Amino acid sequence: METIKCELLDNCENIIISKSAFQYARSLIEASLDPLVTISTKGKITDMNEALTKITGKTRKELTGTDFSEYFTDPKKARKVYKEVFAKGFVENYPLTIRDHKLTNVLFNGSVYKDVEGNVLGAVVVARDITEQNRIEKELILAKVAAELAQEIAEKAKFIAESATQIAENAVKAKQQFLSNMSHEIRTPMNAIIGFTKVVLKTELSVKQKEYVNAIKMSGDALIVLINDILDLAKVDAGKMTFEQIPFKLSVSLAAMLHLFEPKIQEKNLILRREYDERIPDVLVGDPVRLHQIILNLVSNAVKFTTDGQITVSVKLLREDEKNVSIEFAVTDTGIGIAEEKIEQVFENFQQAYSGSSRLYGGTGLGLAIVKQLVEPQGGSVSVESELGVGSTFSFILPFKKTDKKVELSPDIVELDEEMTNIKVLVVEDMALNQLLMRTLLDDFGFECDIAANGKVAIEKLQVKQFDIILMDLQMPEMNGFEATDYIRKTMKIDIPIIALTADVTTVDFAKCRAIGMNDYITKPVDEKVLYTKIVALVKKAQSSNGIETLETDLIQEVKCIDLEYLIKRTKSNPKLMAEMIALYLEQTPPLIEAMKKSFNDKDWILLYASVHKMIPSFSIMGISTDFEDIAKKIQEYASTQQFSDGISQMVLQLESICVQACRELEIELNKIKNNE
Amino acid sequence: MNKKDKILIFLVDDDALFLKSLAIEFSQFEDFEIQTFPTGELCIKNLTENPAVIILDYHLNGVDLNAIDGIETLDAIKLFNALIPVIMLSSQDKIDVAINCMHHRAFDYVVKSETAFIRLQQIIENIFHYQKIEKQLGWYMERM
Repeated sequence: METIKCELLDNCENIIISKSAFQYARSLIEASLDPLVTISTKGKITDMNEALTKITGKTRKELTGTDFSEYFTDPKKARKVYKEVFAKGFVENYPLTIRDHKLTNVLFNGSVYKDVEGNVLGAVVVARDITEQNRIEKELILAKVAAELAQEIAEKAKFIAESATQIAENAVKAKQQFLSNMSHEIRTPMNAIIGFTKVVLKTELSVKQKEYVNAIKMSGDALIVLINDILDLAKVDAGKMTFEQIPFKLSVSLAAMLHLFEPKIQEKNLILRREYDERIPDVLVGDPVRLHQIILNLVSNAVKFTTDGQITVSVKLLREDEKNVSIEFAVTDTGIGIAEEKIEQVFENFQQAYSGSSRLYGGTGLGLAIVKQLVEPQGGSVSVESELGVGSTFSFILPFKKTDKKVELSPDIVELDEEMTNIKVLVVEDMALNQLLMRTLLDDFGFECDIAANGKVAIEKLQVKQFDIILMDLQMPEMNGFEATDYIRKTMKIDIPIIALTADVTTVDFAKCRAIGMNDYITKPVDEKVLYTKIVALVKKAQSSNGIETLETDLIQEVKCIDLEYLIKRTKSNPKLMAEMIALYLEQTPPLIEAMKKSFNDKDWILLYASVHKMIPSFSIMGISTDFEDIAKKIQEYASTQQFSDGISQMVLQLESICVQACRELEIELNKIKNNE
Repeated sequence: MNKKDKILIFLVDDDALFLKSLAIEFSQFEDFEIQTFPTGELCIKNLTENPAVIILDYHLNGVDLNAIDGIETLDAIKLFNALIPVIMLSSQDKIDVAINCMHHRAFDYVVKSETAFIRLQQIIENIFHYQKIEKQLGWYMERM
């Protein structure tokens, strides 16, 4: 009895336990987030957990008994799943998509369940939601691809950046080169334009003409200022701006500069005030030319932008020790002023505070950029204070060295000296444009001017004419300035003052000029005033020291018409080659003379032209004066235009006689060469 | 330097004196081999020798009026091989002459004077410079 009771109790307990175990299992299944479904062998849903109802959005009731495959986007594939389950007894990781509101991707795992006898009752299928997995996978792939792409892009960008840097560097260099070249190239013709405009202005012109020519000159001047500005900037950019260290008097320098602005300031009815700190040492060491440029830019800006009121230029001693001083320069105006947000920009290239101001006030916007570039490399600083409509103060601080040296006073600007108007100047210069320029300048001074294209021509001219002074270019073809000067001093023994002209200040060796016997030098582009001062000073000096001697130089040597120097130089003194050349000349020339004479008498202009034409090159080869070459060219011109002129017969005779003389002299030379062999 | 490496230059001028003087000047440079011709006809006949540069007088029929002039010679050279650079020489310093030469595809124009030789030298240098640049350009163009 006891035992039965106990068994019953045990059974009851077992039932209770198994019931609670079932409930426990059920709660586990319900708690799973993965949808879980049991299907009958027919494919109908028999049971499911909470997750399936959630994912399908249907109640248990609705789901039970429906076809399992209906809930998937691809029912055919879904049917395959359950067929596989029942065929193989299980299915693993079978991908399907549940047709819910967001088409959840799932993987199916399932197996059949059987009764005690082993008959298949249905299948339990678990669908694992792999949306998140897929998303992460996709994101990973995307991230990977993106990373690769990014790396590629980065490499490309690096390459592009490197080549861009290279291009930029090259471009900057090219720009500098271009600017500097263009400025030089433009400056040369501009000098001629302005020079000749000045000449025209001195002639008699109608009022209208004068107005027009003045307009040309003003435009030209403006253009030159612009070009100089550009050149300066290009120099700064290229690091070619050099600063001199020479003693100068600051007060004098400043006064001279402000003097330049007086007419303009009076014209605009402004007041110019100067404040000069008397404690500043008299003589300072620095670059006065650059200082001029800086102040010039600032004051001309002040004048330009001020219509009413005053301009103050103040110079203050900031610091002083044993060797150095620091000086602050300030230019204050009562002009239009600069808005606060624009102040930063004014020192940049091609910037004006207002885009419209260049139209209104003119200018290129380069002035202040240049000021900055001129001050900072010298160890100084620039600053600006301004209030719109009230005015601006531009100031800069520059260091200078102190010195005990005295300043060599540069010659003051000489007013045209009435007595010194008939100076005869010989300009030795090969470039046609420079020849014209020099002629222009010398005409301005009222000097007489003769041009020789090279040293050799100059010597020829010196042999037949007297000059007061020579302006000698150093670089010339045929015979350069040094050679010519040497010849004039040593061979011709003429004391005439010689001024060297040179385009390149950096390469000129003035010691060499002096040693060879030159008196002074001038750098190109030639400054009108410097040129005038130096010419007058040297001529005056020469006249007072050897007033009597000059008479004697009038004696002109009897010269041979030929000069074999060219031939000797060209053949390197090779007697055989020289003999060949001379023989050729002797062979070719007499028939040409005959042809010339005959064609002239026959009025056969074509033949006359041809024979004279052929003679021309021989003159320079045999060193016959270019005067005869000019004569030949004139005959040629007459012949080609068939203009008869009385002078022509005279010229034909001259050519004949010189050629005959040359032949005679050359025969002697030829014999000499032959005898020496 | 052997003869093959030398630069062959043709000088053509009916002015024997000037021709000789130029030939002398050129002969002082080792890299040039000079051939002189008194007429355009002779120059044209010898074009097969393939000169690197031809220096040609503008006024070739000065004495013999029936001879062909410089421009005609120039045209014949260009017809034979347009790539041969021709430098024209003339004692006339006239812009029309220079322009005329350029229109007939001369490389440059030099006035007979004392500096003519220096100019010719510079021009020949330029010619080689240009040819080098053109070669480089060709090389790059091929690769583009």
